[in-house]
Amino acid sequence: MRFNFLLFLLGLAGLVMMFAPLPVQSSPPVEREFRIEASQYAYSPGEISVNPGDTVKIHLVSTDVVHGLYVDEYGVSITADPGQTATLTFVADKPGSFRLRCNVTCGAMHPFMIGKLYVGPNLWFYRSAGLAALVILSIVFWKRSNQPTITAN
Amino acid sequence: MKRPELLTRLLITATLLGVVALPLWAWVSVLSNVEEPLIHASIAESGGWSPDVIQAKVGEPLHLKFTSDDVMHGFAVGQMEMQPVDIEPGKVSETTLTFTKPGIYTFFCTRWCGINHWRMRGTLEVSGEPTAPETVSPALYVTLGLNLDAPHLADAVPAEKPSAARGMGLLHQISNLPVDQSADYYRSHSPSQVFQDLSTSGLTDSQRWEVVAALWAQNTSPAALAEGGEIYAQNCAACHGETGSGNGVFADDLAARGEASMQAMSGSMDMSMQTPASFSDPQRMLGASPALLQGKILRGGMGTGMPMWGSIFTDEQIWNVIAYLYSFQFDYSK
Ligand code: HEC
Ligand SMILES: [Cu+2]
Ligand SMILES: [Cu+2]
Repeated sequence: MRFNFLLFLLGLAGLVMMFAPLPVQSSPPVEREFRIEASQYAYSPGEISVNPGDTVKIHLVSTDVVHGLYVDEYGVSITADPGQTATLTFVADKPGSFRLRCNVTCGAMHPFMIGKLYVGPNLWFYRSAGLAALVILSIVFWKRSNQPTITAN
Repeated sequence: MKRPELLTRLLITATLLGVVALPLWAWVSVLSNVEEPLIHASIAESGGWSPDVIQAKVGEPLHLKFTSDDVMHGFAVGQMEMQPVDIEPGKVSETTLTFTKPGIYTFFCTRWCGINHWRMRGTLEVSGEPTAPETVSPALYVTLGLNLDAPHLADAVPAEKPSAARGMGLLHQISNLPVDQSADYYRSHSPSQVFQDLSTSGLTDSQRWEVVAALWAQNTSPAALAEGGEIYAQNCAACHGETGSGNGVFADDLAARGEASMQAMSGSMDMSMQTPASFSDPQRMLGASPALLQGKILRGGMGTGMPMWGSIFTDEQIWNVIAYLYSFQFDYSK
């Protein structure tokens, strides 16, 4: 009985972890500048994070051949030749994580030239961390609730 | 003959004609494709242009098709007014050129494709009767007998960027300054020589530098500087840096190769690879005349890593890029 109730509580907590809207910390939007170096076949840095509403300014510097940078779902892009830094400015008004991909064929491994833009906290990371903690907790409880039966014998 | 019968006969004749004509048309278009083969572009390390010699005739349109085997490249013909063609892997791009003068032209890659991008060049041989005999005059550095490889550091440099606007005021105020406002004088003198020429003028050092800045500004224009700046960004900045200070994205690579070549040569007199020159270094730039810079750009460094641009740009384009190089030294704002 006690065990079932615990299980129910744990399940409820799991659902909350999955679907509850996290309190979004509302920092006032600012302009964030990044210098991203593109070379065959990576961006450096490969991941950038901003808060929702921020103005993102990316200076793309190419160090070998012509590369591009396209932000998934935002649909904005730039192309940089070595020696000609290109600048992309947009407002990160959609929260979530988005792929950055090179949209200029830059050699054999070109399709794998990708990066990441995080707008807002990485919710899925926190949610899955929470879920993992829950799983560990439930295992502990399960062990505990089994123990008395074992000692009683 | 009844109408339906006539129609049937016509239809059959048309079909039969089509059966013969279609393959014929296909065959002819295949033949004409053979006449304009696809030109493949690949980075210089894997062979560059293939083919790298193209033949053409004066006055006859030359149709060219390109594709790339690796990264993005571009095509343009040196000293010719044309829209560069971008060449991408998996795509075919085309252009049609018509030449008015016979001669040997250089075609080159217009999109940076690595440290050896500028080695991606080929020849275009245009045959035909010359319309007028060409008079080729030697470059100014040859006439002046300049040694392009000798060091040319200025003895004195200004404390801050001299203002051309203030210098212009001095030029207007003082009528008998010992300088000459002609293009010939500008091209054959380094800023520091002009500074020396002004030593008898009674002006202060900073005023003398301002007059120099004014003379340099007079020999260019905002439009010419803009064209020079564009040429610089597309062709020079990857080595010399976007701000002219010699720190372009390939500078480190060149330096590393320089050290390697120094060790390999061990005392031979050949030129070794060097780091790109800094145009923001006043000693270097104020000690160089436009004629000397023109010589360097026309001829290249002969093994230092500085490409030769003589067959790529027109004289006017080179003078404009030189004017732009000096803009790292002088304040041209109004
Ligand atoms: C592949 C790299 C590279 C590119 C591209 C390049 N340069 Fe250079 N350049 C060098 C190096 C290295 C040097 C220094 C060695 C030398 O002087 O030969 C140099 C030297 C020079 C000098 C000589 C400066 C002096 O004081 O003697 C001039 C002028 C110059 N470059 C102009 C240009 C211009 C203009 C362009 C573009 C049209 C250009 N360079 C493109 C590598 C490059
Ligand atoms: Cu790329
Ligand atoms: Cu190329």
